[in-house]
Amino acid sequence: MVVEPLGPMFRRVLVANRGEVAIRIMRACRELGIRTVAVYSEADAHAPHIAHADAAVCIGPPPSRESYLDAQRILAAARQTGADAIHPGYGFLAESPDFAAAVRDASLTFVGPPAEAIAAMGDKPAARRRVAAAGVPVAPAAEDPPRDPAGLGAAARKIGYPVLIKAAAGGGGKGMRVVRSEAELGREFAAAAREALAAFGDDRLFLERYLERPRHVEVQILADTHGNAIHLGERECSIQRRHQKIVEETPSPAVDETLRERMTRAALAAAHSVGYENAGTVEFLLTPDKQFYFLEMNTRLQVEHPITELVTGVDIVQAQLRIAAGEPLWLRQEDIRPRGHAIECRIYAEDPANQFLPSADKILFLQEPQGPGIRVDSGIAPGFNVPLYYDPLLAKLSVWGENREQARRRLIEALREYVVLGCTTNIPFLIDLLEHPAFARGQTHTQFIEEHMPAWKPANRHRLVAGLAAALDVATAPAQPPAEASRRAAPSPWRTLGRWRLGE
Amino acid sequence: MRIVLRHEKSPFTVELQKLDRSYRAVVGDIEHEVETRPLGPATTLLVVDGWAFRVHVVRSGSQRLVAVGGEVYAFVPDSGAAEGRPTTAAVATPEIKAPMPGKVLQVLVRQGDRVDPGDGLLILEAMKMENRLVAEAAGTVAEVRVREGDTVDGGQVLLVLRYD
Repeated sequence: MVVEPLGPMFRRVLVANRGEVAIRIMRACRELGIRTVAVYSEADAHAPHIAHADAAVCIGPPPSRESYLDAQRILAAARQTGADAIHPGYGFLAESPDFAAAVRDASLTFVGPPAEAIAAMGDKPAARRRVAAAGVPVAPAAEDPPRDPAGLGAAARKIGYPVLIKAAAGGGGKGMRVVRSEAELGREFAAAAREALAAFGDDRLFLERYLERPRHVEVQILADTHGNAIHLGERECSIQRRHQKIVEETPSPAVDETLRERMTRAALAAAHSVGYENAGTVEFLLTPDKQFYFLEMNTRLQVEHPITELVTGVDIVQAQLRIAAGEPLWLRQEDIRPRGHAIECRIYAEDPANQFLPSADKILFLQEPQGPGIRVDSGIAPGFNVPLYYDPLLAKLSVWGENREQARRRLIEALREYVVLGCTTNIPFLIDLLEHPAFARGQTHTQFIEEHMPAWKPANRHRLVAGLAAALDVATAPAQPPAEASRRAAPSPWRTLGRWRLGE
Repeated sequence: MRIVLRHEKSPFTVELQKLDRSYRAVVGDIEHEVETRPLGPATTLLVVDGWAFRVHVVRSGSQRLVAVGGEVYAFVPDSGAAEGRPTTAAVATPEIKAPMPGKVLQVLVRQGDRVDPGDGLLILEAMKMENRLVAEAAGTVAEVRVREGDTVDGGQVLLVLRYD
């Protein structure tokens, strides 16, 4: 057989990220014969991603602003280690057009779209206008509405309640508020503006009609630097808490061939309208009557990319690197033949019984599931102290099945096998969610959790067995020194969260 | 041997008796036969009345963290001294602490202000979200220890309330 030579490729890629995505990118690099450079903050000195790289550079103190968001420190690390390309992962600087431009100005390659495409999609109102002009459907909205109460109220009434306030520069739920009446409008608008300013350094907002019970459906695209583009089908990411996705699947139970054809065509048109290159995702809201509206384009690798990889067999991160190196697209649309069904769930360090508040602690014991069709993308290891400073995503568990039901059951069993002790996680919540009859029927929408699982508490089905195990451990353990006993009497701040309400 | 544990707020009491190759465990009025087979440093196959469960147990201080069937439990041995005393979770504490490091965006009350349950006290930006801190019970603001713009550590006292 003939071994296909790899095209022109980078020698050394710096991964400007942490956690599971940094490890994922480093794996792809190694498979392509590329050396890798990790960066880390002082809080991540013992983080697992460092051990996956050929070199690692400390880029500053724990706060993101002084480390993972500091473009100059990252560029200095790239120079210092002789990297010829930078992969931003997702989050942090991944959607900063300034960073992409700075990487290019430093004569390095940014593994992602051109800075101009990031900027065009990053300005949400401008992006809406642009894709609408390209024939992509958009929902009723008001861009940069007046800030005086009367003007703001009039703008909201014109759109019709409920109204969604979004950050113009935003994404990921930050600066996002749903307002159901004019009475709440002023306060929520001010809070959203502050949150947007803190998160993005930009407090411009826009209002749009809030669609009730829509599905979140997105299309993965790949575009090369020679004008070729294909799509890799859709993902449905309707299951969200605090406007952030926690379960994603492909294909969407709501999308048939005809609708897929329309949505993927719209996605490619949206990408084309900004001269998009590399991997990207066009997000839509899909209403129960099969109308879909452009939400935004994520100009980067998506957290949930593994499920598309599982059904298409395409390695999206390798594709990003090959496209960035200038290789013409080696896949045609007819080569993409998705097979079966894949579901991912995100394992977060958070307490689902307490408003999903983040819980950062030391991982005392870790056991990851194994078996056919199971994929774990993990950023943790036993002994690792999960820092409070960053997104509390610990790992992603994805499964493939011949059909949706097989995948769903496989995921539930894999979650039962997934053991994280020391740090509270959402695993018990995810099991109950996947077992919910409405999820089993594929009746998913973005308000699923509020509607079907409000005030969730663990069912404690195994209390007897767990209690017996603990009792046997106590019976056979040496006595605790008194110091330990007094230490535990002091309540951890995480246990006194009753007074907290998130996102108000 | 009698072992008293606490899980969340409710007690779990076991009367344990070591037999030849197993244990006799009485929980409530029900007797169980329990066998254990170690599978790893933290992992045990626990056979309860003939049904096998793979359980994982680690210690965190005196706490026993137990994972079984996708669930996680925290059991604390109930020492005699702690009995009869209300748990911290059951009473509102006067000191309002930051649950995580962050930045004070807005202080919504002043010293001497009256507060009712649910009233906003302070807005803290942490983990990239705005968090609104509210009063748990009615009372008066005794002390405000932070100012807008302050960066605070997790556990730092932000305000002190005097409950009615």
